[in-house]
Amino acid sequence: MEHTQNQHDTHKDAPVTYAEVNDTVLKMLEPPGTGWFLLLFTCLFFLAIGASCWFYQMWSGFGESGKSHPIGWGTYITNFVFWVGIAHSGTLISAVLYLFRAAFRQPIYRLAEAMTVFAVMTAGLFPIIHLGRPWYALWLMPYPNQRALWPNFRSPLLWDVFAVSTYFTISATFFFVGLIPDIAAARDRATTKFRKALYGVTCLGWRGNHIQWKHFQAAYLIFAAFATPLVVSVHSVVSWDFAMSIVPGWHATIFPPYFVAGAIFSGVAMVITLAIPLRKAFGLERLITPVHFDAMSKLILLTSGVVSYSYITEFYTAWFSNNPFERFQFWFRPFGEFWLAFWGMTFCNCIFPQLLWVKSLRTNIPFLFVLSIFINIGMWLERFNIIFQSLTREFIPAAWGGYNFSWVEVGITVGAFGWFGMWMTLFIKFFPSVAITEIKEIIPPPMRRGGHGAVAGHNH
Amino acid sequence: MVESSSRAVVGVFTYMDDALEAVKKVKAANMDYRMYSPVPRHEIEEVTYPEKSPVRMMSLVGAVTGCACGFALAILCSLDWPLRTSAKNVVSIPAFFVPGYEWTILFGGLSTLLAIFIFCKIPSVLRAAGYDPRFSNDKFGVVVACSTGQVEDMKRRMLDSGADEVDVRDSL
Repeated sequence: MEHTQNQHDTHKDAPVTYAEVNDTVLKMLEPPGTGWFLLLFTCLFFLAIGASCWFYQMWSGFGESGKSHPIGWGTYITNFVFWVGIAHSGTLISAVLYLFRAAFRQPIYRLAEAMTVFAVMTAGLFPIIHLGRPWYALWLMPYPNQRALWPNFRSPLLWDVFAVSTYFTISATFFFVGLIPDIAAARDRATTKFRKALYGVTCLGWRGNHIQWKHFQAAYLIFAAFATPLVVSVHSVVSWDFAMSIVPGWHATIFPPYFVAGAIFSGVAMVITLAIPLRKAFGLERLITPVHFDAMSKLILLTSGVVSYSYITEFYTAWFSNNPFERFQFWFRPFGEFWLAFWGMTFCNCIFPQLLWVKSLRTNIPFLFVLSIFINIGMWLERFNIIFQSLTREFIPAAWGGYNFSWVEVGITVGAFGWFGMWMTLFIKFFPSVAITEIKEIIPPPMRRGGHGAVAGHNH
Repeated sequence: MVESSSRAVVGVFTYMDDALEAVKKVKAANMDYRMYSPVPRHEIEEVTYPEKSPVRMMSLVGAVTGCACGFALAILCSLDWPLRTSAKNVVSIPAFFVPGYEWTILFGGLSTLLAIFIFCKIPSVLRAAGYDPRFSNDKFGVVVACSTGQVEDMKRRMLDSGADEVDVRDSL
């Protein structure tokens, strides 16, 4: 009943009805306008840049990537960690908050889930691009081969293969299962042959009878329970790629919780970045309200606090360890060659979000949009600091080095945003990007005799 | 089953409690039915299907199988190519916890998906008797399978319960 109360708080003017939810959300699937095509072509343009750079790198050699001793892991691994992080909050919002019955998740969770799936698809590209010879990517998999060779199961890099592939499979499954009843609603309203065929096939013949709903609900809860540990495990495993090594700046036990909090922090920011234009473009103001932005802002404030605490802990640990290499590394980050990246990260992730303590700013949409972009820049810089800075100053000065970005890396990074944007743009036009069924769940059902949606108070 | 009877009486309801009233009458008459709703509600579950769903058992079996397979894969692959590094055991259980953990979730999730397919009977290409597109929008539906002789009685029960409209269709 708490959900019901929240819903009333959210929509003070008039109760939202089941039909209105269908009307509003399915209206988004109407034939696209010029703006949508412009957005799609922009994404495709960026994607073309990225694809061209990748092919050039394959043709010309991995040296084009700008990576050279001592920087073996550069922009591509930074991008990998960044995009896996972006994916995380989707699962947090869709699974963890589902288990906690947090009412604010309903209007935004579909968008967050879509973001998760497409961000993992983007992240998954980078280890393959980083291989240099991507046609050998299958060697990551444990498969029977003539040489009887198996991958090293004690290596965190192989753990990553298991973690990310499981994460993608489960996220995509969870996402698709949640979509089924909503696609059925789209099918029932489709007018064109293409749409009828598309939704008819993808909803798998769903009708929404009481038996289907019973098993669906049970399964959905179990999916949420399975996805929840993934929120914790995947970025923990990603952090072990670094923490299991002996590189100063990487070898820290705080990495798993630090990475998980950072992932949720950046992911929620990305949800805000995507939700604000979507809300404006499709008139979703009655479904995605300031209450939802307020809740997401609080989540940002919390995770910003955890991330800031982790940064401080890293410095404290380096000092307390009395290890000269660790101490030097954490002196080098704020005052060395890449000081701008460190202070940029600190401002974007630790200082700027503190403004969210002001209540009015938590519901100030333009401010939140700007903040969310700053946070995403800050989180990219965080990964840059961890990866680049640690590698440029390892143990002995003879092994130190610098780094020059190559235009190929920049092109592929831009291409990744194009790839992610393309999937998001296509998704919002072809599938319900706001969860119809779940929003209906928080609306009082129409009742003739008593109950929250009784005739006297009902708005039919 | 709804699909095997000769006629289907379809009641369309605006109010959920009216539809549930009709379901109670249908159940009292011991007839086969389907209740359609645009949203899952616990009130509907309590009347129509109070038992626990068997989905969770399939999920459990899948998860346990995944855990066993994850550890078995890591152990058997390591034994097949025994490469001792840094004085660690060839079979390093703590390190193999990750594949075991991930496959527990992977197999558990996929078996849950399989359970949805089996118990919800999807994918289905059959047209459901009595289904109305409004049931995915804002209406509740009760579809009762009955013989031709029972049609009038069933129509009356639906209307008495508050149905907006009652239709009779051929069962598939």
